[in-house]
Amino acid sequence: MAVILPARRRPARRVVRNTAIGWSFILPNFVGFGVLTLVPVALLFYYAFTDWNIFGGAQWSGLANFEQMAGDSSFWTALRNTFYYTAVHVPLTLAVSLGLALVLNRKLRGVAFFRTVAFFPYITAIVAAAQVWNMLFSPDFGPINEFLRGLGVDHPPGWTVSAGWAMPAVILVGVWRDMGYYMLIFLAGLQTVPAQLHEASTIDGANAWQRFWNVTLPCLRPTTFFVTVMLTIGSFKVFDVILLMTDGGPGQSTLVLSQYVFQKGFEENQFGYASAVSIVLFAICFLVTILQFVVNKRREA
Amino acid sequence: MKRSISAVLGIAVAASMVLSGCGGDGDSAEGGGLKLTLAGWSLATTPEFKTLADGFHTANPDVTVELKEYDASNYDTQMIADLSAGKAPDVFVQKNLKNFYTYQNGKQLLDVSDVAGQLGDKAGGMANYQVDGKTYAVPYRNDGWVLYYNKGLFDKAKVAYPDGSWTWDDYAAAAKKLSTGLKSAGSQALGTYQHNWQSTIQGFAAAQTPGANWETGDFSYLKPYYVRALDLQKAKAQVDFGTETTNKLTYQAQFGKQSAAMMVMGTWFIATLRAQQEKGDADKFEWGIAPAPQFDKSTTGTAKTPVTFGDPTGLGINAGIDKKKVDAAKKFLAYAAGPQGSKALAGIGITPADTKSVTADFFTLSGVPNDDVTKFAFGTRETKPENPVSKHTAGLLNVLNDLHTAVMSGTKDVDTAIAEAQTRAKNEVLNK
Repeated sequence: MAVILPARRRPARRVVRNTAIGWSFILPNFVGFGVLTLVPVALLFYYAFTDWNIFGGAQWSGLANFEQMAGDSSFWTALRNTFYYTAVHVPLTLAVSLGLALVLNRKLRGVAFFRTVAFFPYITAIVAAAQVWNMLFSPDFGPINEFLRGLGVDHPPGWTVSAGWAMPAVILVGVWRDMGYYMLIFLAGLQTVPAQLHEASTIDGANAWQRFWNVTLPCLRPTTFFVTVMLTIGSFKVFDVILLMTDGGPGQSTLVLSQYVFQKGFEENQFGYASAVSIVLFAICFLVTILQFVVNKRREA
Repeated sequence: MKRSISAVLGIAVAASMVLSGCGGDGDSAEGGGLKLTLAGWSLATTPEFKTLADGFHTANPDVTVELKEYDASNYDTQMIADLSAGKAPDVFVQKNLKNFYTYQNGKQLLDVSDVAGQLGDKAGGMANYQVDGKTYAVPYRNDGWVLYYNKGLFDKAKVAYPDGSWTWDDYAAAAKKLSTGLKSAGSQALGTYQHNWQSTIQGFAAAQTPGANWETGDFSYLKPYYVRALDLQKAKAQVDFGTETTNKLTYQAQFGKQSAAMMVMGTWFIATLRAQQEKGDADKFEWGIAPAPQFDKSTTGTAKTPVTFGDPTGLGINAGIDKKKVDAAKKFLAYAAGPQGSKALAGIGITPADTKSVTADFFTLSGVPNDDVTKFAFGTRETKPENPVSKHTAGLLNVLNDLHTAVMSGTKDVDTAIAEAQTRAKNEVLNK
């Protein structure tokens, strides 16, 4: 017994030590994550059921915030606009970035240069980019409308200052900004498509389109899935582009959910209500992502 | 295993406490005297805080006032965060009236009725800080909106200078006349410039229209003001809203670089324009100010008091202040809002709350016009608050800002936009 005990203890102690070492490795990140993300998110779920307005205590108000939301036409406008943005932005960015990746995956002269060019928007400061885009979109003096007039369009759209065209303008800038990043991910994905499959299908007489449809796309599915999920979440959360370009205007024509949360929370100090709205935003992102996972699983099977 | 987790979590909590900086602040300055902290923003370009701090220290050598800088555009957000964390300065500025309700209702402001009583009725705008008979802040500057005009461009277009007798219709007629006059004189400048803020229209409409009160949820008082602005835009007598927002035009450059012959703006622009002309950021030209155009003839002319709007900027004391420092803080408030502070502020071109007492000093500054109409416009005005203080203020402002962008961009016609804003105000803001 006396001989066995220390032998038993030693591995136990080692386990403890290893665990502690493991924890200490993730500690720096975890402390930041816990203090800045985890705790606030947990609190958010509590505040959503209170009438907290920054100072003083948060009074429990049950479902009052959610009842208010149901009758809040601004909330519904924001929700509609968010879906509008997502529904156009996701497929468009997906198509553009995949197209760019396919084009830039060939052996072209100066391909590195063109890849850099395509990636450039993503690393440009959005504040500056939004300002330049706004000037390009300027209804009377902007180059875009000058160009359209040159093409013979008599009444070019008012872009960011017209109710109907503000959202397309913002989506365009969103696509422009995101395409480089997702192009890079697609490029990485394209490297995993086995060259033999392409060769084999060429020998079998498949044309470029058939090869893309039957070889490239199926091989890219994991990448496409990842990109779609990231894009969808990103689109639902869109904030900076809209805040900088239109600030939700004109009127409420580009008001989106995350901006509505900002307005209610930080401008009107209704943190309880803002928390409730952000929970709805969270629920939407969560449900859509689950749906995408389910669809992906089914395809795989 | 369990023990190790709790041990590590313990370390994590300890580490996070160290990281978030749970430390005490010293109260006393090096000299052994008392140290007060004062909030301010953009200290490099906004000299008023340092002027007040230094002036007070000179008058009271035993108290040092230390400035704590905030970001100008996020001042209230940052201040609210600091207050709720208990880290806010002893004395903090009420940058606008919009958020005064938040601070006062949130019990973040000390009752300073005794300071207000000491100051009497000299400091304009004091009433805005009174709730249930108690005063929670004192104004140290009180800006009001006036009409700036470029004498050179008026001469070029052969239009008579504003003389204080203008209603808004006179203003619109002059703007059109200026535009055509300037055009035929070969100038690119437009008659007037109206900045894209909602206050440039809504502030005047609310202050001047008899019986206008947004708390009733009736916004019809806005209509004539919008109709006029849209008409000026259509007549190309002012830059249209779309160009203004997409090109982020600044009012400083529009007036300072002589792109417009007139502009309504707050009196704070006097100091800016003067400084910019000195530094060369603005063209050198003769300018003057006149009373803001009026709702009707009943308030025009130099024998009457023109009605305009503008928020006072006030100083309040943090309710969480150290008890030992309360007296010094109150003394500071009395200094800033009183004659000494007013004089110091006027010396750097700022409109103090006690405007009348410094008018003479103000116009000895170089680069400030000193014709009679300018002096009248500066010293005589009934300045109503930009936004009445209530719990609905922030919400109503957002609703009305949507109305503003929709109407000015031509997205919606005035009647529809007003009807929609009224419905929204009723359902989303006033029902709380």
